[in-house]
Amino acid sequence: MTESNNESPKENKAPSLGSVLTSEDLSSRDVEFEAAADRALQERPTFSIRAKLLLAFALFFVLTLATVLWSIDIMGEVQDKILFLEVADDYKVELQQARRFEKNFLLYGTNLDDAREHAHRAQHLTERNSERFLKTVGKRPLDVMKSQLAEYLKLLDAVGRGERERHENALRDHGAKVLKLARDFVIKERRLVQSMITLARRIPFFFLAALAVLMVVVGVFLARQIIGALTRFMEYTKRIADGDFTPITPTRKYRDEFSKLALTLNRMVRELDRHHRILTESHKLRAMGTLVAGVAHELNNPLNNIMLTASLFKDEYKSLEEDERQEMINDVVDQSERAKKIVANLLDFARQSEASIRPLDLRQIVVETIQLVGNHMRMKKIHLITDLPDDLPAVHGDRQLLSQVFMNLILNAVDVLPEKGEISIRISPDRREGYLGVDITDNGPGIPEHMMGQIFDPFFTTKPTGKGTGLGLSVSRGILRKLGGYILVRSELGKGSTFTVQLPVTTVPAEISAHKAEGFSSAGSGE
Amino acid sequence: MENKISIMLVDDEEIVGKRLKKALEAEGYEIEVFMSGTAAIERLAQRIFDIVVTDIRMDDVDGIDVLDAVMKNAPQTRTIMITGYATAEIAREAQAKGAFDFIAKPFRPKDLSKVIHKATQEIKKSRSGSSP
Repeated sequence: MTESNNESPKENKAPSLGSVLTSEDLSSRDVEFEAAADRALQERPTFSIRAKLLLAFALFFVLTLATVLWSIDIMGEVQDKILFLEVADDYKVELQQARRFEKNFLLYGTNLDDAREHAHRAQHLTERNSERFLKTVGKRPLDVMKSQLAEYLKLLDAVGRGERERHENALRDHGAKVLKLARDFVIKERRLVQSMITLARRIPFFFLAALAVLMVVVGVFLARQIIGALTRFMEYTKRIADGDFTPITPTRKYRDEFSKLALTLNRMVRELDRHHRILTESHKLRAMGTLVAGVAHELNNPLNNIMLTASLFKDEYKSLEEDERQEMINDVVDQSERAKKIVANLLDFARQSEASIRPLDLRQIVVETIQLVGNHMRMKKIHLITDLPDDLPAVHGDRQLLSQVFMNLILNAVDVLPEKGEISIRISPDRREGYLGVDITDNGPGIPEHMMGQIFDPFFTTKPTGKGTGLGLSVSRGILRKLGGYILVRSELGKGSTFTVQLPVTTVPAEISAHKAEGFSSAGSGE
Repeated sequence: MENKISIMLVDDEEIVGKRLKKALEAEGYEIEVFMSGTAAIERLAQRIFDIVVTDIRMDDVDGIDVLDAVMKNAPQTRTIMITGYATAEIAREAQAKGAFDFIAKPFRPKDLSKVIHKATQEIKKSRSGSSP
């Protein structure tokens, strides 16, 4: 399968024979746009992918650091608490001792000093560790604890002084209260230690959960940044491969590594475009060569006939019969006529008469053209297959010129086909956005690869002299170029060829085109 | 000269044959006109001509093919090529294959007569040289 992309939309910008716009107009506009695109790419604030990666890693590090510090802190606290738990236990034990001695005193009348000493020690413990006590039980319960203990001590003193009857019951009450407070205090402290250890055991899970969330967020973000950009660049390269050389413009707020890639791609596209132009230019020169040689050959034949006839007419005038003279003069006139036609064709080609462009129903044009060439096809018993869907958007073009293009293509197909060959004509709306495509396919002999580059050259023909001018495809291409469309060829030797005409769809919003279709079609001719 | 010089003229333009046949006959040559290379090559298999004048660019079989046929059948025949637009390559190819001379379109009957005359002189010289 050989494929030749003889025309891409961008090529419209290359100068063509008979083109109204000069290449300078377009290229200077292009250069401005390209420079603006590059500027826009460069002017955004920088936030590179590298910086984003660094930021992500920094976030991970901060999370880990915070967890580690938290763990260390909690473990320190647990240690403190455990140490303090011993103090609390001591406090409780002191008070228990104090009460034991108190009981012994009350029951057996033993020494009360031991009880007082233990109670003092307990009080001493609260004073020495007042802050820790405060932290564990809170201010008011601590005050209660302290005042109760102080009261207990006072009562002990009072009982020790001999006022046993008056204070015995109060002493018992307070002793029991103080001891209960101490027990509660120890239990509370133990619970605190317990909950702290539980918290310490949960920290790894908190960490894992936070890590998972952060990983997902960072992962999604980076994927969107990198994979999204890669997808976009894949689209760009596809677009460039299709011949759309519009420079890449920024889509993100910040400049990153992909902006650099976009800049280099833009540079590449510029170079491609330049080479493309040079190639088109040299193509044009070759086409001019073919054109000149073709014209020379085409004109030489009638000219030769005129020269031979006129020379003989002059030299042999006297010896010629009257009817011979008539015949010779007629030949000269006929051959001059033939030369005139060649020149007119050439002028047509150069001028490619000004188009009046308006929205058109492509289907209708194709159907009309098929009717025009129908007789020709029937004579050769060509089997015609059509696929022309309704409800197509209007295309941008000139009725007569488009009809000429399709006629050229269909007649070319008819000419290459043997009797009972097959032609299929189909309109495909979905091949490229904003374009309608018409495929004209024959099952003829196909185009050899070495001819692919030449078939659009003016005066290139495979038909016998007098049957083809070699201008059909060349003129068709010129017309399509003018209408903003292009033509593609695909051919396989022995299997046939497909010529595809791609035409831009008229870009008018649906409502406007529905309401103002009449007004627009007359206004559209001004383009 | 007992024998008339025989000339084959091949050109797909009808007027060329019509006019030149008359003009050359008037000069005393015997002339056969063909409008296609195929017909000319067929005839070449049957008969030897002294001179062949052929257009290079023709639709079915071109002048180079006619020249090939001449060189195969009768290499002593002088072949004069008519070129529509003379390209150096085709000229070199024809020369390498043994063409006698060229004449470029458009030409006057006199121009062709001169070339044919030159060929005739050579033919006569070689005839008198080979059979004194």
